[in-house]
Amino acid sequence: MKRILLAVVLTLIYATAAMAASARSNTGCGLGTIMWGNKADGSVMSQSLQATTNGLLGNQTFGITTGTLECSQPANVVNNEHLNRFVLSNMDNLARDIARGEGENLDAFAELLQVPVEKRAEFAARLQGNFEKVFSSDQVVLAEVIDNSLAVTH
Amino acid sequence: MILARSRFFGVYGALCFVYLFCGLPACFGESAPPAADDYQLELMQRAEGLSLSGRREWNVLLFYRQRGGGHKSIIDDPRFFLSPNGKTDPDAELEATIRGLFAPAVTGDDHPRCRFPARYQWLKGELGIDPARLPDPACAKLDEALKAVDPRSAVLVFPAAHNNGPASMFGHTLLRVGSSYQSELLSYAVNYAAHSTDTNGLVYAYKGLFGHYPGYFSILPYYEKVKEYSDLEHRDVWEYGLRLSPAEVERMVLHIWEMRGIASEYYFFDENCSFMLLFLLESARPELRLTNDYWDRWGFWVIPADTIATLRRAGLIDTVKYRPSQATRISHRAGLLDDVARQQALDVAMQRLPAADAAGSGSPVEERRQVLDLAAEFVQYRYSRKELVQEEFQTQFRSILKERSGLGPGDAAAGAVPAPPQPEEGHLPGKLAAGAGIRRDRPFLELSWQPAYHGLLDPDAGYTMGAQINFISVTGRYYPEEDQIKLQSFHPVDIISLAPRDLFFQPFSWKVTGGLDRKTFSDGEDELFLRLNTGGGFAWNLPHTDSGIAYIMAEADLNLSDRLDRKVALGGGGTAGLLANLSDRWKVHLSATGLFYAIEESQYYRLALDQHLNFSRTAALLLRAGWERSYDLNRAEAGLSWVRYF
Repeated sequence: MKRILLAVVLTLIYATAAMAASARSNTGCGLGTIMWGNKADGSVMSQSLQATTNGLLGNQTFGITTGTLECSQPANVVNNEHLNRFVLSNMDNLARDIARGEGENLDAFAELLQVPVEKRAEFAARLQGNFEKVFSSDQVVLAEVIDNSLAVTH
Repeated sequence: MILARSRFFGVYGALCFVYLFCGLPACFGESAPPAADDYQLELMQRAEGLSLSGRREWNVLLFYRQRGGGHKSIIDDPRFFLSPNGKTDPDAELEATIRGLFAPAVTGDDHPRCRFPARYQWLKGELGIDPARLPDPACAKLDEALKAVDPRSAVLVFPAAHNNGPASMFGHTLLRVGSSYQSELLSYAVNYAAHSTDTNGLVYAYKGLFGHYPGYFSILPYYEKVKEYSDLEHRDVWEYGLRLSPAEVERMVLHIWEMRGIASEYYFFDENCSFMLLFLLESARPELRLTNDYWDRWGFWVIPADTIATLRRAGLIDTVKYRPSQATRISHRAGLLDDVARQQALDVAMQRLPAADAAGSGSPVEERRQVLDLAAEFVQYRYSRKELVQEEFQTQFRSILKERSGLGPGDAAAGAVPAPPQPEEGHLPGKLAAGAGIRRDRPFLELSWQPAYHGLLDPDAGYTMGAQINFISVTGRYYPEEDQIKLQSFHPVDIISLAPRDLFFQPFSWKVTGGLDRKTFSDGEDELFLRLNTGGGFAWNLPHTDSGIAYIMAEADLNLSDRLDRKVALGGGGTAGLLANLSDRWKVHLSATGLFYAIEESQYYRLALDQHLNFSRTAALLLRAGWERSYDLNRAEAGLSWVRYF
């Protein structure tokens, strides 16, 4: 059983890596990063499946680290895996919050960057005012977003 | 099932052997050589004197359930036990655990003290263990996990049913362990789920029902789960803050750690996610008796909304928070705009209107913000549905956000969706109806029973309007004139999903039902026949109301009966209907059906008006009137029933 699970995990990792490798080099680190997998929500069966199979990989229990290794890392921040992984995973929602000037993803981003509470409003305003500098291109990637955010808020 | 179980154990038996061979303590148990350690003996004697193995805490930690005079753990994985008899012998397991604490510290993370920290903490407290007199293994992985999770508080997370997927009504529950971060997104989620690689739905359903899948706990960042539910599956999420102290939450997290990589047979209906989470909460505070409710009753399934009611009874629920999905946010935002602005947002999202034009239109600035906010969310939604490829999405999304950022901060309240009634505030899932009626001048008494879950006419608070999912509904009738009790209908499954279409969403509505029904055949007799009916179509919200649905469906209808010339008849046709809440308590369903059978060359028509008047979470009145025409014979029927939800 354990071996089967391991094989499944390895297959998934391999498949994910292969998908990333076959696409543009930075695909997976920028906007539109969500890995859809087989999570189409059109059919009845897939919904009932999803109801019970979420996060199913036993061997990944407590998968606390890993995730951003294939992306280039930000230059201006002490390597913070938690920050990188959050931004990588939530880049679309973070971009939306930054454009809007408020939101839960923006709050989490500020907290991970240890922006003091009294400076959060200014932080949000500066990011909103500099949206184009933070999300400098359609193909913007993880490291650039973090570096650009720091550049416009400091 | 027996075969599967034995194979399951067979594999683990082999693994166990490997561990033994490698010198790991996982399988030592009673066969290990007795350690010549006085302290170990002293602790064992103390434990026996205190009868620790019979204590509630120990039963909770090992998932023991009392069966007759003995005990049996619901965990099947032998790696969860230090004694080979651990599954059924609490004494032996306790003894093996104490012995395990004295194993050489060199095994590090595999040392029993690192593998089973909740058991160790409890024993340490009860026996007054002096850690200085034990080997001191380094638990690097455990320490790292505890540091990352940083347990302070706990929240029960309940993703509500998917709009157009009644099967998801059974839902899923998970826990969120709050940390010292303010942001909820940055905390961790504890999830228990079946592990399956089967893609065939029938195989999946069968194996799931009969426990052929291993269930595993996993821990992952909460933002991953939020994304999955809000942005991918488009299900609203309820978050119930639990009254647990930081010490209790930490105890629970240690216990979850013990379940790391441990398999337990996952049964969809009972030993499922909701049930296992109740166990975790018992480990946080062993005085709680949450699982007994389910073991003691005759019902065989655990519906997630039920577990919330259980927690509420236990006084555990503190705060309630609603987290609308992206689809819900889109509908809400669209509802705030007028027709012109709504169309404009759609045009921007569909690339028919440049975002810059919408941003620079003559409308008030707050309206322009809302138009772009709605367009951005809808572009994300389309991407999640794979209606856009990544490149299109990036360009489109960024161009909208760029324009939006230039309009400054808006009214944050515009995106806040008011919380609907909570799932556990709805009617109870079981239903018993008793009543009387008249069919073609013949009076009858009627009794129907339906253990789960929600019908079109049931009150919608806590459920989704237009989403019906009923299991095993049985109706019997007694006709005094004939002094006969007759089965009127039996439906193992009866699902209808009426999903309204609007400017942004164009879902299909569908239905599937099967079982035994009674209708008039050519000889004029009402006879039972086997029926399978399925259909698909469209539904729309009635204008100027959010509590009325109009629908139309094409249907295929298969009938099997000895009364049919060729035993079988296949029909096609359709149903059109109106479902509306006329007040908070009064709901009406008007429907018309026509079916035309090819082989039999017969027709069936039905016109029905059903009304439902609900008085409380548990009581309602159902009034039905209908007219049928089958084999050119007309039948009128009316009935009144008292409905009791349980």
